[in-house]
Amino acid sequence: MDKGETLLEHMERQGMSRRTFLKYCASLASLMALPPSAAAAMAEALGKARRPSVIWLPFQECTGCTESITRSHSPSVEGLIFDMISLDYQETLMAAAGFQAEEALQNAMKENYGKYVLIIDGSVSTGMDGAYSCIGGRSNLDSLQEAAKGAAAIIALGTCASFGGIPKANPNPTGAVPVSDIIKDKPIINISGCPPIPVVITGVIAHYLTFGTVPELDKHGRPKAFYGETIHDRCYRRPFYDQGKFAKTFDDEGARNGWCLFELGCKGPITYNACATSKWNDGTSFPIQSGHGCIGCSEPDFWDAGGFYKALSTPANPLKYVAAAAVAGAAAGVAVSFANRARKQKAKSEHETATTSDLEK
Amino acid sequence: MSSISQIPVQVLTANDGLTGQAEAVLTEIAEMLSRFLETGKGDSIDLRSLPLSPADKIWLDEQLGRGEVEIGIDAGGRSVVTETAYAGVWKIEHRDTEERIVAELIEVTAMPEIVQPHKTDIEKSYNTLQSSLKQIS
Ligand code: SF4
Repeated sequence: MDKGETLLEHMERQGMSRRTFLKYCASLASLMALPPSAAAAMAEALGKARRPSVIWLPFQECTGCTESITRSHSPSVEGLIFDMISLDYQETLMAAAGFQAEEALQNAMKENYGKYVLIIDGSVSTGMDGAYSCIGGRSNLDSLQEAAKGAAAIIALGTCASFGGIPKANPNPTGAVPVSDIIKDKPIINISGCPPIPVVITGVIAHYLTFGTVPELDKHGRPKAFYGETIHDRCYRRPFYDQGKFAKTFDDEGARNGWCLFELGCKGPITYNACATSKWNDGTSFPIQSGHGCIGCSEPDFWDAGGFYKALSTPANPLKYVAAAAVAGAAAGVAVSFANRARKQKAKSEHETATTSDLEK
Repeated sequence: MSSISQIPVQVLTANDGLTGQAEAVLTEIAEMLSRFLETGKGDSIDLRSLPLSPADKIWLDEQLGRGEVEIGIDAGGRSVVTETAYAGVWKIEHRDTEERIVAELIEVTAMPEIVQPHKTDIEKSYNTLQSSLKQIS
């Protein structure tokens, strides 16, 4: 793609139709919990965007994040977003190696200085001056500090880059820290998850292209559009939680009836992520649908949080919305889901045609 | 375990797993229809954003039924737009090229937006047709 070309021009040249694009935006709006009417406004703005240069550096990581994203994007609709960026450096995917690869990195940074998006996966080792994790004879700490200087924004991809993740788990032998502990003067978007949901990264890039800004972030630096609600908020087992129907073991009658997994250690109530709606494995399922509680992998220090099978403290104030819906015959259930969106200040556009300024909240 | 009959299999009834959510969705659709009749403004529900159980989804599909129109769209994967038994209430299912469902919507409107061609595309097709005609003559 010619870098001066808009996305829509690029797509038209490739023979893609406007409907395909509208459809992509519909799926993105759904994932971002925007009202469906937002799809048209997004398509309009995204179509006019120009693609940014992206430099992707892997640090102390297992390549799970890269696997998660590359496995998802073959010829799928969200794969379209990979046309939207110019991926100028990615060690796992690029053909170049050794000095050529290092040269490609230096060139990409120089040519796009001040404008590129820097993606980091993996935590940064600070022990022994960063000597625990080096690439091409340089510590990750050093590479990060250099690459961050010319970045317009940084995406910390995965729980390791966002919060330190598994490398930082007790006793943290390498002195692992998240990107945000090192870089203080650039906007950082944390896309946590072990691994993160593929479409969330495409969504964040789509947001950046649509609005030219970093999306609204929560207290942990995660985009609220994807991390605004807990797994529990969107869990289809939630009505059983509200009715106090809990599976006590993984093979009891409650488990067979699909009851809530809270007492089996589900961390859904304290975990912010989009698994319950975007799901995994080509939209097949997510852990709770497969019968296992959420392990909370998108939260800071999830590995040291006291055991995956240990129940959180007793559920407090269940919403009881099922009963309300049934008795009042009103749209109470839907209203609860909509109320969650209201937290993100978007409910106001529910019954209006949305514009991009409505979305940029 | 000595015989297969000792495995404690339990058959669930069709209503096991219903949460009451689907009923609420139906009520919401009725409200949307009444708003559409009053103001002419369409609206939609993103079914994947709601915590519907598999049983809820089946129940909702049964309640909505099928109307006379089914439109297939081939754009970056298959999409099917189906009129429900209630005129003005459409079910839209978008799939990508790998057949994964990427969006599931209920749209209350006379004709869903994805079906209608964009004005710029119509203008373009007019120009293309004009130049084809010139070449022929
Ligand atoms: S505790 Fe877990 S299984 Fe139960 S409703 Fe919440 S997220 Fe779903």
